[in-house]
Amino acid sequence: MDEFASRRYPINEDMAFQRRSWIVERAGWVLLVAIAAAGLSGVLGNGPASWQTVRAGTLSVAYERFQRATRVSPIVFTVAPASGNETTLHVSAPFQRDFEFSSIQPPPLRTRAGPDGLDLTFAAQPGAPGRIVIWAHSRRYGLSRITAAVDGGAAASFWIFIYP
Amino acid sequence: MDSVIKAVVVFFVLWGIIRVSGRRTLGEMTSFDFVLLMIIGGSTQRAITGQDYSLTNALLLVATFVALDIGLSIVEIKSPVLRRILNAAPMMLVENGYLMTRRMRRARVTEDNILEAARRLHGLERIEQIKFAILEATGEITIVPSVQGGSVAPQARPR
Repeated sequence: MDEFASRRYPINEDMAFQRRSWIVERAGWVLLVAIAAAGLSGVLGNGPASWQTVRAGTLSVAYERFQRATRVSPIVFTVAPASGNETTLHVSAPFQRDFEFSSIQPPPLRTRAGPDGLDLTFAAQPGAPGRIVIWAHSRRYGLSRITAAVDGGAAASFWIFIYP
Repeated sequence: MDSVIKAVVVFFVLWGIIRVSGRRTLGEMTSFDFVLLMIIGGSTQRAITGQDYSLTNALLLVATFVALDIGLSIVEIKSPVLRRILNAAPMMLVENGYLMTRRMRRARVTEDNILEAARRLHGLERIEQIKFAILEATGEITIVPSVQGGSVAPQARPR
């Protein structure tokens, strides 16, 4: 008697369908493990595959290119020594549109909003490199293309993908 | 708008994950399964409601889930093929006193699981007292005891 033959009594079996279901099940298990692995790697946000650094002139930006909506993530701007007592960080309009700022460290002296984006002016120590950290989370899903520049210098361009 | 979309997505993704995990996860709950159920509920709840704690959002989500449940039950009645895809079909595990071990291995059911169901449902002591043991669509194991209540007459063992 074949164990995998369909029985008719007391239940009407379809072992061919059952065997196909088992194959789909096992494929599903592989997919679940792949999702967990993707999570660990940072492809789904927060991990080695996500952290990036982009440089332009004297500006360096460290950020997570894969982020998840509502999760706060830091964007670290490292600027070369300023010549005066102040330094101005300009971030483009998509950054202001797509992200909600939780905190900015250090707090800016003043801010100016324009059609091309946001200008944040910070106190600076002449000759000393500065580090500005913006903690922000996005409420919008999808790709966000951002540029940042310091004191009108070369602009660093980067993209951030937000998972829902 | 996104509340309804999130509710639909979470409903089908959760259904897919539980369906793919196999029936053992649904019926005959072990302590692992119980922990899993609690964690699944907690993990998805905040993702669905987000930061919208309004009464309107709560009612919207409940209405969406119930509508999905009713819609799928209607689909199941109208289409036997979809019914089999949406829910697993029952499968025999013990036939006339003999364990169908290859089926049990694929379904991840042990002899202990079957004996536990036999004791619980009919007070049976041995596999030989079971005429049929069936793994139901819900993951529960149901038992048809042999007519005399004693051992079933020996049959050719399933290959």
